[in-house]
Amino acid sequence: MSPASTLSRSERQIGFGLAVALALLGLVMAAGAGHGVMAVHGTMALALGMLLVFRVGGAFYDPQPDADRLNRYYDAPTRFGITMTLIWAIIGMGVGVWVAALLYWPEATPAVPWTSFGRLRPVHTTGVIFGFGGNALIATSYYVLQRTSRTRLADSISPWFVLIGFNLFCAWAVTGYVMGSTQSKEYAEPEWYADLWLVVVWVVYFTLYIRTLARRHEPHIYVANWYYMAFILVVAMLHIVNNLALPVSFGAADSFTIWAGVQDAMIQWWYGHNAVAFFLTAGFLGMLYYFLPVRSGRPIWSYRLSIVSFWGIVFFYIWVGSHHLHYTALPYWVQTLGMTFSVMLLVPSWASAGNAIATLNGAWHKVRDDATLRFMFVAAVFYGLSTFEGSFLAIRPVNSLSHYTDWTVGHVHSGTLGWVAMIIFGAVYTLVPNISGRDTMAWPRAIEWHFWLAVGGTLVYVIALWNAGITQGLMWRAYDENGALSYSFVESVRAMAPYYLLRTLGGAMFLTGAILCALNCWATYRLTPLAQTPRDRPLGLQPAE
Amino acid sequence: MSEPHGKAPQIDPVTGYGTTGHDWNGIHELNTPFPKIVIWALVLTFVYSLIAWVLLPAWPVGRDYTRGILGLDQHEMALERLQKLETGRTEWLSRFKTEYFAALQADAALMARAMPAAERLFLDNCAACHGNDATGGPGFPALNDHSWLWGGDPDVIAETLHVGINAPNDDTRWAQMPAFDWLERSEMTALAEYVSALPQGTADANAPAATLFADNCSACHGETGAGGLANGAPSLTDGAVIYGQDPDTVMQTLRHGRQGVMPAWADRLSEAEINLLAIYVADLSGNKTEPGE
Amino acid sequence: MLKLHYNLEKLSMGLVAGIIVAASIGGIVEIAPLFVIDETVSMPEDMRPHTPLELAGREIYIREGCYACHSQMVRSLADELDRYGPYSLAAESAYDHPMLWGSKRTGPDLARLGEKYSDAWHSAHLIDPRSVVPASIMPSYPWLVRPLDTQMLSAQLGTLARLGVPYDPEMVSAAVADAQGQSRPESDAADAVRDRYGADVAVRAFDGDASLLTEMDALVAYLQSLGRLTDAAYGNLAGEIE
Ligand code: HEC
Ligand code: HEC
Ligand code: HEC
Ligand code: HEM
Ligand code: HEM
Ligand SMILES: [Ca+2]
Ligand SMILES: [Ca+2]
Ligand SMILES: [Cu+2]
Repeated sequence: MSPASTLSRSERQIGFGLAVALALLGLVMAAGAGHGVMAVHGTMALALGMLLVFRVGGAFYDPQPDADRLNRYYDAPTRFGITMTLIWAIIGMGVGVWVAALLYWPEATPAVPWTSFGRLRPVHTTGVIFGFGGNALIATSYYVLQRTSRTRLADSISPWFVLIGFNLFCAWAVTGYVMGSTQSKEYAEPEWYADLWLVVVWVVYFTLYIRTLARRHEPHIYVANWYYMAFILVVAMLHIVNNLALPVSFGAADSFTIWAGVQDAMIQWWYGHNAVAFFLTAGFLGMLYYFLPVRSGRPIWSYRLSIVSFWGIVFFYIWVGSHHLHYTALPYWVQTLGMTFSVMLLVPSWASAGNAIATLNGAWHKVRDDATLRFMFVAAVFYGLSTFEGSFLAIRPVNSLSHYTDWTVGHVHSGTLGWVAMIIFGAVYTLVPNISGRDTMAWPRAIEWHFWLAVGGTLVYVIALWNAGITQGLMWRAYDENGALSYSFVESVRAMAPYYLLRTLGGAMFLTGAILCALNCWATYRLTPLAQTPRDRPLGLQPAE
Repeated sequence: MSEPHGKAPQIDPVTGYGTTGHDWNGIHELNTPFPKIVIWALVLTFVYSLIAWVLLPAWPVGRDYTRGILGLDQHEMALERLQKLETGRTEWLSRFKTEYFAALQADAALMARAMPAAERLFLDNCAACHGNDATGGPGFPALNDHSWLWGGDPDVIAETLHVGINAPNDDTRWAQMPAFDWLERSEMTALAEYVSALPQGTADANAPAATLFADNCSACHGETGAGGLANGAPSLTDGAVIYGQDPDTVMQTLRHGRQGVMPAWADRLSEAEINLLAIYVADLSGNKTEPGE
Repeated sequence: MLKLHYNLEKLSMGLVAGIIVAASIGGIVEIAPLFVIDETVSMPEDMRPHTPLELAGREIYIREGCYACHSQMVRSLADELDRYGPYSLAAESAYDHPMLWGSKRTGPDLARLGEKYSDAWHSAHLIDPRSVVPASIMPSYPWLVRPLDTQMLSAQLGTLARLGVPYDPEMVSAAVADAQGQSRPESDAADAVRDRYGADVAVRAFDGDASLLTEMDALVAYLQSLGRLTDAAYGNLAGEIE
């Protein structure tokens, strides 16, 4: 079923127009830049625009979908988004394993610019956070929004615009890095025109969300949607402020951020930390709040706790970015605020994790038997672990040891592998059968395999890097009994080798699991839908607002 | 909370709590009372924060900020700690600033305390060029042999460390191997052959190249090429090389000249640390002063 | 309270407004004062901006992602002062758009790197780190020997000038000549660089070849400038380090 066949003829017209506009935009960029990264990116947009012109144009006179479609949930964009999630999972984690290997074996790949560690590392981070995480957030947000509002997405074009536009942004980003184009701001590396493009995409996303919510048939907005909205809104705010930049020329992928020095550092980590908070946490809590109760068949343990943890997270998180800058040239007072708010932040964080785990009361037998639910359970546990670790690391004296070391990287991956990736897999295994009209995934046993690979890989990765980071931190500050520093820097580099090797192995296990998931989804997509049994509540009739 | 809609609240059989009555695609919520422990945790962490705010610099107020009653300044604290560390080691380290090298070297107990520190300093600052084991590398002389450009006594080494060689330092030692690109090509090849044979002692003293050497090179490298003039020009007979003494490398040397740079350390390391390193380096060549000698 | 929320969650725009307000406060309280409290950055008299060649090197440092492994921020911790030198001042990165403080030390901090090693060492190390440091896990950058593209240099200085970096119009228009000059110690242009940026600027054939301006020239010039744009940081340690 081609996506275009889910559109009416007039929607196809709009889609066709947008595709032409994209191709033209690409053409203007490519022609305006002439050469260099921006020209390549223009060509990419042109090619994508042309492809869409042919896809939509080719299906233009196909039969129109039946009029009843407006009474069904619109899941074709979710399906596409999940596909992109899995593709980016393999790209992003594949590059993760690659850069992990480079740190153990620096000459593993030829010394040509685009395979260099410094260029590939942001390909990994962008690939997993934005490609894998972002697509999963957008795809599941459509799914959750419709079902908890009992309404169809407000229109059929903007979900596609958002997903395709977002993936163009990701593709620009990672191809830019390997060609040497980057603003160097962590998690915000793409150049100015990609940043601008993301703003456009995001505005459409927010509008779609609000318009759909406005048509909901449930008077109350479900918690999951509060979180998805916080994700959309705050990411927009962070993205715009942190990426304010002056292009050197409108024809080149080159700009200077308008912020400098200590203010830039604070703004960067206000952004950077809250990319964690609102990209890697808030949106995924939305996912958790929907898929965990659905899969376990249990009610959310406490509505009141949901309220407090939601507002706690939204309010406290914003304050804590300065814990990335302890002992630096950032004034002490900001560091104190970052530290104290990080500690207070633990309370709403654990409240969310606790609420999720308590929800499983009465469903523990399902956790035992159902690997999909187990993914979500493990995610909640790691969410609790990594936020505890985060609050701990944010305490200044602790940070004096951990900062700059692999302990941070261990913390990052206990959060991203243990929490973010696990909840995504749990959600994927729940929704993919559903939108494929099936009761189960094509290969239920493979989920079990995936689960153990993921848990094993995460533990190997994280434990290795805790050891690595603490060793490193202790070596850097070790004094001998005569009051002199004990180790040279290079000795600490040498001490990392075994841990880096283990991390590569753990990562490879995790990647294998992700590949298994992608194949499983592919196989499930290809199964013929079973006769319609009602899986979801039907659409409601009366808008509530 | 009693206002129901959709469905009437129901009692959950597992927890015994009622639902809120909401129903989103089959999801319900329990109206579980707010867990007290969360309140307590909030209070506890807030009190922690409050204490920190009172004690430490914390809140911006207009164009200023609260200093905290401890009046802490992270820079001062770091400097104080550093000072404490330094006092901890002055007992032995300061002796390297004031005492004679021979006396220091003779004090075995002192050397046992100091050498690990010297090794760490060497690894962090010098090993990048001279190698972990001080065997040098292309362009960087070995320091563990008996062949010296300026001299292997601790005081000479200390001076080298202070000012560097060809370094951006006002008093730097100056050593330049000029380019001899104005020589005939044939002369250069002959010289290169001649010089590369010097270490084996197979150079023909009567060859025209020997005259060329005496005319052009001996001023710096000594009549026999044995160096030792303490002008930065290495011995060409002792087999120790910086750049290489095969004909091709010597040709490069003649064509373009050489001017190796050894950084100056006076701004980066303290007087005592430099002296400590000087002894460490002097000892590397194996002629360690035996304790008690 | 609960009742209030019970009603709030029926209004999508109410939630939107609530989220925006709750999520703005922290950022405003922490960031805005950094622009108005004078003490945050105290600019020393002798602070200079990067020369065009150093700036080009900085762009290469960014392009190659060196910041992924190297910090440029000596924290106020005794062992860091002991190992690396004086703690970094806010002023030292005040002209840096963006700052490159870094968040990971796979390799050592570079804030005090300038003139610690020789140009020749840097070239050798960048082309093949393991040729000089056998245990290194740093990547090789053999392609840095290619010619430096100076096409955008003037525009880059101009853009930074608009953002408040003290480049005067002459510096902007002479950017390319200055980049050439800084790598050709014997040329007239070399003197012009010293005139404009100060006598302490390193003017050398950084890659060992004055005839060709390469990316290596730029990157090494940048590395040699780290920690040397002002002496202010060293003043803080004076008396302590002996
Ligand atoms: C950037 C590279 C580099 C670093 C770092 C370096 N050196 Fe050197 N060093 C050299 C070079 C090159 C020479 C030879 C200079 C010449 O060719 O004239 C040299 C020469 C010397 C000499 C003179 C040898 C002689 O024969 O007289 C001594 C002693 C020395 N280094 C010790 C040290 C110590 C101790 C350190 C660390 C504090 C150190 N070096 C760090 C490059 C370096
Ligand atoms: C002005 C003094 C001077 C003169 C004249 C001079 N040299 Fe040198 N030579 C040096 C210095 C100083 C060095 C060390 C340079 C360095 O380490 O960077 C050197 C280094 C060398 C080296 C490299 C040694 C090694 O270990 O790699 C060779 C070979 C050499 N000279 C040969 C010659 C020959 C042949 C001549 C005559 C044609 C000559 N030199 C004339 C000062 C001189
Ligand atoms: C994969 C991580 C990695 C990347 C990327 C990297 N480095 Fe390094 N770097 C290291 C390690 C590890 C060391 C310590 C071993 C050594 O000296 O090679 C180091 C050392 C250095 C040193 C010596 C510092 C000192 O004080 O001894 C310099 C200078 C340096 N790197 C510059 C760079 C530049 C410039 C780039 C980018 C073009 C870069 N590095 C990219 C890992 C990296
Ligand atoms: C196959 C599994 C993975 C492997 C092998 C892997 C490996 C790596 C490596 C080697 C680094 C660089 C660390 C360094 O510079 O020292 C890194 C950084 C990072 N990775 Fe992963 N990764 C994996 C999965 C993920 C996932 C799924 C996410 C997010 C959803 C993620 C997010 C990040 C982030 C945010 C960083 C930057 C950390 C920092 O700057 O401190 N990774 N990863
Ligand atoms: C209460 C919650 C959390 C707190 C207080 C917290 C705190 C911290 C601290 C103190 C650091 C180290 C900063 C440094 O020294 O450089 C850090 C780094 C990081 N954390 Fe967390 N963390 C939390 C939760 C999470 C979660 C759930 C994730 C992932 C899903 C995460 C992802 C990261 C990342 C990616 C970094 C690395 C940033 C960088 O240096 O590039 N954190 N966090
Ligand atoms: Ca950006
Ligand atoms: Ca980082
Ligand atoms: Cu953080």
